[in-house]
Amino acid sequence: MSAIRHQLTPLEKSERKLGFFMLAPAFLLLFAVVVYPIAELIRNSFHFNHLAQPWMGNPFIGFENYARALGDDRFHEAVWHTVLYILVTVPGAVVVGLGLALLANKPFTIKWPVRLGLLLPWALPLVFAGLIFRWFFEYNQGIANAILRGLGMQPWNWLTDPNLAFFAICLAIIWKSSSFVALVLLAGLQTIPKSFYEAAEVDGASKWQQFIEITLPMLRPAIFVALIFRTITAIQTFDIPYAMTNGGPGNSTETLAMYIHKTSVDFLDMGYGSALAVLMFIVSAIITSGYLKYTRRDPGRH
Amino acid sequence: MTQFITRRLAGLGLAAALAAGSISLAHAQTTLRVFTGGQQRPDVMRKILDVYQQRNPNVKAEVEIGGATSEQQQQYLNTVLASKDSALDLILIDVIRPAQWAAAQWAEPLDAYLGAEKDAVMARYLPAYRAANIVGGKVIALPYFADAQFLYYRKDLLEKHGVQPPKTWDELKAASMKITSAEGQPNLRGFETAGAPIEGTVCTYLVPMWGAGEDLLKDGKLNLSGDVAKKPFQLWADLKAANVTPPNLAEIPTDRIRQNFQAGNLLFGMTWGYVWNRSQNDADSTVKGKVGVVPLPGFTADKASTCIGGWQIAVSSFSKNKAEAVKLARFLSSPEVSKMQAIAASHLPVFAEVYNDTEVLAANPWFAQALPVVQAAKARPISARYTEVSEIIRTNMNAFLAGTKTGDQALTDMQTRLSTIFR
Repeated sequence: MSAIRHQLTPLEKSERKLGFFMLAPAFLLLFAVVVYPIAELIRNSFHFNHLAQPWMGNPFIGFENYARALGDDRFHEAVWHTVLYILVTVPGAVVVGLGLALLANKPFTIKWPVRLGLLLPWALPLVFAGLIFRWFFEYNQGIANAILRGLGMQPWNWLTDPNLAFFAICLAIIWKSSSFVALVLLAGLQTIPKSFYEAAEVDGASKWQQFIEITLPMLRPAIFVALIFRTITAIQTFDIPYAMTNGGPGNSTETLAMYIHKTSVDFLDMGYGSALAVLMFIVSAIITSGYLKYTRRDPGRH
Repeated sequence: MTQFITRRLAGLGLAAALAAGSISLAHAQTTLRVFTGGQQRPDVMRKILDVYQQRNPNVKAEVEIGGATSEQQQQYLNTVLASKDSALDLILIDVIRPAQWAAAQWAEPLDAYLGAEKDAVMARYLPAYRAANIVGGKVIALPYFADAQFLYYRKDLLEKHGVQPPKTWDELKAASMKITSAEGQPNLRGFETAGAPIEGTVCTYLVPMWGAGEDLLKDGKLNLSGDVAKKPFQLWADLKAANVTPPNLAEIPTDRIRQNFQAGNLLFGMTWGYVWNRSQNDADSTVKGKVGVVPLPGFTADKASTCIGGWQIAVSSFSKNKAEAVKLARFLSSPEVSKMQAIAASHLPVFAEVYNDTEVLAANPWFAQALPVVQAAKARPISARYTEVSEIIRTNMNAFLAGTKTGDQALTDMQTRLSTIFR
């Protein structure tokens, strides 16, 4: 490298300066909104910082917050619930999203109703979706129980039975997030040349065979992108269960993000809340790097 | 006469300020922002502030409306105050909060502003509110209105079936079973109290415990090991088994009780003072003139108990207009405003004498019996970490009401987690 490097002319030097100067705003912004908060979070996680007990000060306590998390049943439960949400809603959203994308990719003469149907759930704020589904599953006025009553059945405790509440929340999350997946997959679908299908048609392949042999393999990169994004948002699941059950009954539907929120915003235990957030960040980073490794090893060729 | 003079003086002051030019005009006008909860009748607060603005033309008071439940409001306030935001000047806080607010140094202590008047001012309030607002010898907030849980009942249905308002839980159970089965409407339910994981559900646990003669803390130590700590679970399990409470009790927050009651779908409700005014005046209320209010039942007729509620006006430590804010706080905490609230919102007064006011009694006939209830009402545990205490009690109570934990499990979990706070 150094062999190639030549003495910079004054003009080049000043251009280089200008270059750094022009990069500075972006760098500073990134530093202010990403690097600094993360550093502060990590620093906080090694301190005692409970805003409801200001007289205790903010002493350095080493790994005590992390040790506390390891022994905290509620943290374990929250992690377990989050894992369950990931396991159900990520594949769920991809399957439903794929169906929606295939539907939207059909050569309808009027395309906008399907595309609007795709965009609407995605454009809706998460907490709205949560509130809407909460009313769907509300015991007396909810549409779910109205249907059950119409069928002559007893109403169910959708939001106060842990299993039904988990099911209802998963349904809301899948409804909300499958449209994002569908948009990503629809973009992928439109890159597949029509000629592939025409050739397959000529060779006598059935629609199902075309789907397995052409659509799915060609869609693999898009599916991976959707999976990564969906998994990252699933790790952070917060709004929908917060609006639907607020973690109840008891704390049986509480996710890790909700527990962090409760610890820091409700209980004002910033030190412990920060440690939990760091742990979530680590889990998130591990899962994402796993995905990335997998996609790099297999760049989507079949 | 003095009022006339002050008004004239204020007018003169304003004129002088106008004459002095636009810079001093900006100084003459103070804007105060008052935070109140969606369920604490912000419309009535607005009317009261209008009166204040009329008398004090130099002050403009804005209302900011927070969440419907106490813990939703506190969640928002936690973020505002932890960041030392000066946007709010006066804040309406729940009676359970002063200890936490004092510890976190969010409320401006009012002692210096009250000066020599302090003892005389505080002596006028009902003792429970005087005690709740003085933390470590300092006045943290001033009472705005009092509250307690009462038993609301459908007077028309009780009379129709010849039933007296119940004085014990057994009577309530019997009355409820008798009337709901005789009425035979699938929508009519017997009894509701707060069961969702919200602040009100803390009282759902504590009221029966108090009724059985014990308290959560005894000499500052946790007191959950005895049999009495199981009483609340037994009571609610019993009413659930008899179908007196609805199967979805665990999703019912405070205001849903009022909504169900006003829709005519509820026979008995354990809820707060504000429901009276709403049930008698709301356009959609189907129970106008059909409502009675009595003290809550007990395990025995002579040993009823109730949870003390009520809202206080605190001046934010971060306010930039503390002197004006304290003046407004003192107005909001005056007998005059107590009376206005009693008439316009059935908010219980914080001064004993206002309960006997003829206009107040005309609007709320049941206030005659309400004073002894408020005076005997018990307070939830006092702690700087109350939000955690509350969360532990309400999530376990909620899990029990939903049937995901047995009473014993819920009690053990409550004990384990509370023991880290009350060592």
